[in-house]
Amino acid sequence: MAMVAQTDPLSLVFAALADPTRRAILARLASGDADVSELMKPFDLRQPTISKHLCVLERAGLVIRKRDAQRRPRTLVAVPLRDIADWIEPFRRFWEQKFASLDRYLNDLQKKEKARGRKRR
Amino acid sequence: MDGRGDSETSTVNNLGPVTITTPGDRQIVVTRLFDAPRTLVFEAWTKAEHVARWWDPSGVPLAVCEIDLRPNGAFRWVNRAPDGGEGHAFSGTYREISPPTRLVFGSSPDQFATLVFTEEGKKTMLTMTIECATAQERDALLQMRVDVGTAQTLENLAAYLPTIA
Repeated sequence: MAMVAQTDPLSLVFAALADPTRRAILARLASGDADVSELMKPFDLRQPTISKHLCVLERAGLVIRKRDAQRRPRTLVAVPLRDIADWIEPFRRFWEQKFASLDRYLNDLQKKEKARGRKRR
Repeated sequence: MDGRGDSETSTVNNLGPVTITTPGDRQIVVTRLFDAPRTLVFEAWTKAEHVARWWDPSGVPLAVCEIDLRPNGAFRWVNRAPDGGEGHAFSGTYREISPPTRLVFGSSPDQFATLVFTEEGKKTMLTMTIECATAQERDALLQMRVDVGTAQTLENLAAYLPTIA
């Protein structure tokens, strides 16, 4: 992905979510904290690669570093994800209304077809 | 539908929640499951007499619904304005028509929507991928924050859609 000059919070979150590995890391963190070495195993990636992805996620505010004596476990921060959901909500609602309308129309069409089929018999 | 609250037609079976995902920085993917055979869902999107009856969620039939269903054929769907005149128009050109599985339409080489109709038993999954020219354009399309849930939001988006589809 090309580096984007945008720095507003939502753009950072979108950019962070655009990568499948980073989405997988978030999914893994959703089930519990993990440090870099724990994240390396399931993804079969080298430490610098994981660190680079974590850096992008941290900058987007999706992940924070916890201080634990030896380990540096990462924790998922769900708030930016909710911001994205809120942001998309009107768009989703727009299509929900259109599709509910299509749903009703398809129902009516099928009822009419059935009624016509019965008459023919 | 005539908006008189017919109890038959106002039943919403609420089959599929609409899901929105943004797999790339220029795309929006919208999915929804419909309780109807695939050929019928495809026809509902491609025959003017059908589109005219559902495109406006208020139940008011479209003022204009023109569909020239062939590659490079044009379409123009115009809502009925509250004063009885013509409201917002949604228009563009068909690029690919493969009944009953795939429909692609757009208004410029780098802005288009791909509709894929997939059978799921007797139901039909619609997957609509909107491809924007730039990430900024994609974000602008998603960013419909004004007065969530009001008619204004819908009007704004309806006004914006022709520029992306």
